[in-house]
Amino acid sequence: MSESTVYYDKISKQARSKKRVKRSTIYLILFLFTIVNAYPIFWMIMNSFKTGQEFSFDPFGLPNDWVFSNYVEAWVTANIGSYFFNSLFVGIVALLICIMVGAFASYFLARFQFRGRNILYGFFVIGLLVPIHATLVPMFILMQKLGFLNTHLALIFPYVAFNLPITIFLLTSFMSSFPKEIEESAIMDGCGPFRIFWSIILPMSRPALATAIILNFINNWNEFSFALVLINDDALSTLPLGLANFAGEYTTNYTAQMAGLTLVLIPTILFYLVMEKQIVNGMTQGAVKG
Amino acid sequence: MHLLKKPWIIAVGVIPALVIYLIFSIVPIFISFYYSTMSWDGFSDMQFVGLANFQEVLQDKVFWLSVRNNILVVLASVFGQIPIALALALLLNRKIKGAKFFRTIGFMPVVISTVVISITWRMIYNSEYGMINNFLEAIGLGALQQNWLGDPTWAMVAVCITIIWQFVGLYFIIFLSALQTVPSEILEAADLDGASEWQKTIHIVLPSIWNIILISVVLCISGSLKTFDLIFVMTSGGPASSTEVMATYMYDKTFEGLRYGYGSAISVLIFVFSIALILITTKLLRRKEV
Repeated sequence: MSESTVYYDKISKQARSKKRVKRSTIYLILFLFTIVNAYPIFWMIMNSFKTGQEFSFDPFGLPNDWVFSNYVEAWVTANIGSYFFNSLFVGIVALLICIMVGAFASYFLARFQFRGRNILYGFFVIGLLVPIHATLVPMFILMQKLGFLNTHLALIFPYVAFNLPITIFLLTSFMSSFPKEIEESAIMDGCGPFRIFWSIILPMSRPALATAIILNFINNWNEFSFALVLINDDALSTLPLGLANFAGEYTTNYTAQMAGLTLVLIPTILFYLVMEKQIVNGMTQGAVKG
Repeated sequence: MHLLKKPWIIAVGVIPALVIYLIFSIVPIFISFYYSTMSWDGFSDMQFVGLANFQEVLQDKVFWLSVRNNILVVLASVFGQIPIALALALLLNRKIKGAKFFRTIGFMPVVISTVVISITWRMIYNSEYGMINNFLEAIGLGALQQNWLGDPTWAMVAVCITIIWQFVGLYFIIFLSALQTVPSEILEAADLDGASEWQKTIHIVLPSIWNIILISVVLCISGSLKTFDLIFVMTSGGPASSTEVMATYMYDKTFEGLRYGYGSAISVLIFVFSIALILITTKLLRRKEV
């Protein structure tokens, strides 16, 4: 081997090991990020299976024997089942109303020319800027006047109203992208605008509808502040409200709190893992476009 | 775009959405303007007091403290979430094993309900049983243990860390998908010219996703202005108002102090403050863009 090949060999070796160090560093950082993201949740789930005593002795390890009494306690005392049902009910009803009226309005905003169309569209979209918390007090007063306080209607209407801007935004921009010719033959055949909406435009908008539905549902499912202000009856509480109250009452029983949280968390994470692509699309699109 | 012969049909399509949106999103803002000029405890007769509520709010030390904390949350979010998310996205934007895994875990906190996150982190910060203090003790740094949420010096820091943790994933994914759009031909050309990765990042990658970065900053500001749930559940503004933000203070004054007029005045200020901040940032960022 001549001297020069040894020299080049050395360089490439150096370069390779430098590259390896770089790659390992990248992996290390990404793993660190993953641990920071996932460990708090893992910590909570692990400890929800421990007795209070074991938790205070050994908060980091796996449970010695897996105890389910925390779950029984959380389920029984915290009414998780009823909160779950309430959240599902309010979330789905609000979502259906919002998608129906939103899609209908978007169809006219996207496919027809009329005076004030742009102003109307802008008026809807500017709702994205309305800070929810600035409306808590007036919403309380309004609901009191309407007699909706302490009913699910008090949640359904605000949920619809605050999801309409993003829903109309997503659907209108999607529906505007279809070529004009889409409806023309249908019009020739004498189809009215409602028929065209129902059998042509709505089915074509499926991808945008999916995004809007997921966004609506996640927003409603996680919503806390309206529920806090407008619902004052444990039997009507949604999950976030019920959980917050439960955790407030059982401040010292950590393992039961963790069990309650885990019960709520597992369906969310499963839903996320199954629908990851749509959820991520929905939330980032909704965010960036909004 | 089509013209309809019967314009009333458009009204039929748009009005349902418009009515719900008006009553439950726009009207409350005006209601809060009206009630902000009143003194009312929710039961007895209202009294018109003119601008007295505003005068009082503007001299209220705790209110200004809450404004300061609101600004701190915005700053922590913008300077925490955006750079961390960008750095991680740049690291992951290459052929890497397990990229999907890192993405999935990275986005996970974003879908978890804020209430669950708040209660979990409240336990993580717990002075006796919390993960952080236990961890510090386990690695022999017990001297650094703090009563994180119970100590006014640390409470705001602790809250901001949780807020950053919650939303890094959102911007991480937004940046990752933006990075996919950077044209690979340009990067390859730079490779041929012997550009280092750092040079490519600074001169090619960052400029081409600059718009998305700016949008994310605006998003981050408007999102962090909405902070209420997290602080309400974690600390309810305490200890000694050290984590009070405008929305928690408003809640406190209205529903604990039963001062609906005063609370409405704070609502009006939240509204004005949020809109002003969003307008200013969009304007500043637009100017840079040109």
